[in-house]
Amino acid sequence: MTEINEQKVTGDFSMYFGPAHPGSGNFSIKCEMRGERVLKATADPGYLHRGFEKLMEYREPMQNAVLSDRVCVLEPLQWNLVHAEAVDYLMEYEVPERAKYIRVILAELSRIQSHFIWYAAMSLGTGFMTGFNIAIGYRDYILDVLNLITGGRVYPAGYICPGGVRKDLPEKAENKILELLPKIDYMRKFALKQNPAWLARFKEIGTLTKEEAIKFGAVGPILRGCGVESDVRRDDPYEIYDELEFDVPVMDDGDAYARFTVGMQEIEESMKIITQSIDRLPKGEVKTPNLKPRVQFQKAEGEIYIRNELSRGEGAFYMVATGQKTPYRVKIRGPSFTHMIPIIEHLLTDVAYADVPAIYWSMYQCPADVDR
Amino acid sequence: MSTMSDDSKNSLLEEKLIKNLNTKLGVSINFQKERRLWTSIDSDKIVDICTKAYEMGFEHLSTISVTDWLEEGKHELVYHLWSYSHKVLLTIKTKIDRKNPNISSINSIWGANAETCERECHELFGVKFEGNPNLTPLFLEDWEGPPPFLKDFNWREYVKEETYDQNNPREKVYFEVKK
Amino acid sequence: MKLGIVIEVVKNVFTKPMTVLFPFEKIEIPERNRGEHEFNIDTCISCGACARICPNLAIEMVEVPSELREKYPKTYPQVDLGKCCFCALCEDTCPKESIKLTTNFYFATFDKDDTILYPVKAE
Repeated sequence: MTEINEQKVTGDFSMYFGPAHPGSGNFSIKCEMRGERVLKATADPGYLHRGFEKLMEYREPMQNAVLSDRVCVLEPLQWNLVHAEAVDYLMEYEVPERAKYIRVILAELSRIQSHFIWYAAMSLGTGFMTGFNIAIGYRDYILDVLNLITGGRVYPAGYICPGGVRKDLPEKAENKILELLPKIDYMRKFALKQNPAWLARFKEIGTLTKEEAIKFGAVGPILRGCGVESDVRRDDPYEIYDELEFDVPVMDDGDAYARFTVGMQEIEESMKIITQSIDRLPKGEVKTPNLKPRVQFQKAEGEIYIRNELSRGEGAFYMVATGQKTPYRVKIRGPSFTHMIPIIEHLLTDVAYADVPAIYWSMYQCPADVDR
Repeated sequence: MSTMSDDSKNSLLEEKLIKNLNTKLGVSINFQKERRLWTSIDSDKIVDICTKAYEMGFEHLSTISVTDWLEEGKHELVYHLWSYSHKVLLTIKTKIDRKNPNISSINSIWGANAETCERECHELFGVKFEGNPNLTPLFLEDWEGPPPFLKDFNWREYVKEETYDQNNPREKVYFEVKK
Repeated sequence: MKLGIVIEVVKNVFTKPMTVLFPFEKIEIPERNRGEHEFNIDTCISCGACARICPNLAIEMVEVPSELREKYPKTYPQVDLGKCCFCALCEDTCPKESIKLTTNFYFATFDKDDTILYPVKAE
């Protein structure tokens, strides 16, 4: 994977980080190297380009709900939610109160398991296998509950569908979720332990200033790690988030460690949201009455830009309907898109090659939503 | 749930913002729903309006999207700007000719972020952004056909020709689908 | 700090492991799990709703083998598990609840033809 440049300086060569690197995911970065230093990096996405935006133009909303899982493997329920909200607005569905609460609970569970993967991936990238194993193990407890509720461990297959959710919570699901919380808390504390090796790898690495972060379009934990207090759940509330109490963790350092710490502190806020939602969970319908499994846009016309706070930051659906069965145009904004192309190219200038995995994973990347 | 007084306060703030935007940007701002404003402008004013909007606090370029209106013969470019201070999303729409899709790049404001979004639009819709030095392919590799997301490019036909075999009994079903 | 590690080790010696010894011990699969399809073709009215809603075109309405055609004269769904994405939209859309996704997920196979699930198996 290395090629020596024709320049005369010995030690100048270019080297690929990924896509075959064990911790890179389906993404690659071409690094121009001088010795051990990375001079310039060019992101090379496209290994996972499946063309969702075009695929959705050929399918009906309920089928698209199933498809929207696949936008990102690590947070499928939240992508379900963004898609469902876009269709809800265009079709003018009144979503029942209970369904809104179930949607929020599942989205937050999904956020927690995604953050665990972040910790796992960061450990893997820096050679801390124990952290990887423990995080994946604890994530599995959450997957068991997701399997109980949605019927699939990773992919819920459009559980959060236009007009509500596909099925009501099964018996005792609330208890199962509450039983999860101590386990999640244990894992969160484990991840936040002041591990000297961890600090040495991530402190003061890949520092992004506040102004740069805003200009490059950073979102989510990456933006909050730079000292900007912004959370779509609070600034642009959807579902029932404006009724719930939670804090937005912010850190000012802007380095890899700050981003990660913000992410782990978010788990606590998610736990608060889950407890509150389960406490207030109303009884009643979970689907718009008379909703058929087959939904078509035949009467809907218009367009909407729906933004949601996913685990990686702002994810959005722009949907245009023109009264045909299928949406006319769908645009998906993946949160990693700005993180993985402009920001990573900016951060990977003049750094040591050994820091590339640390910076790369601290960006909380998901190649699937870069490429879509 | 937000109370009545909150709602009216919000809408008052938004009305004020709309008036402010109207005068400063020199365009008419429309209200879609809470925290969603949109406007439609001429394509040659895009850099000017975006610069003014940026100065007014619309600092976050969420995304750039292209809608291909085949019957009308136009591409509609949609810029989504979010303001961290006003907490409002401003959607700027502009239409350009489908046969000659040229528009100025807004990389003077958002730099590499805007350039990457424009790269995507260029690759998938063939829109040319004047002033963007980096319009290289992003996702597709060795692609020589027309921009694949255009409405007159039929994916299903293309995939059938390239990938599927009509004589294979398991792939036969793909040839029976219309559209 | 060091004592903390000792306590952790002692605790872990006496706790149950996270994993199970798979073929001998199985974790419980919830009722809702979307696994292999189960047909009840006695109640099937052959409406084809499942075939129309399937996002992957995995369901095809076919006739049963000739020796059973007297008993089942219409067309019935046949699922190609190789194409199926296990979304259970067919289960939701079925007016007679004739199609159901079960808890069985053991269908790894070496032969491509084994992935086709027939409505009834010929004797």
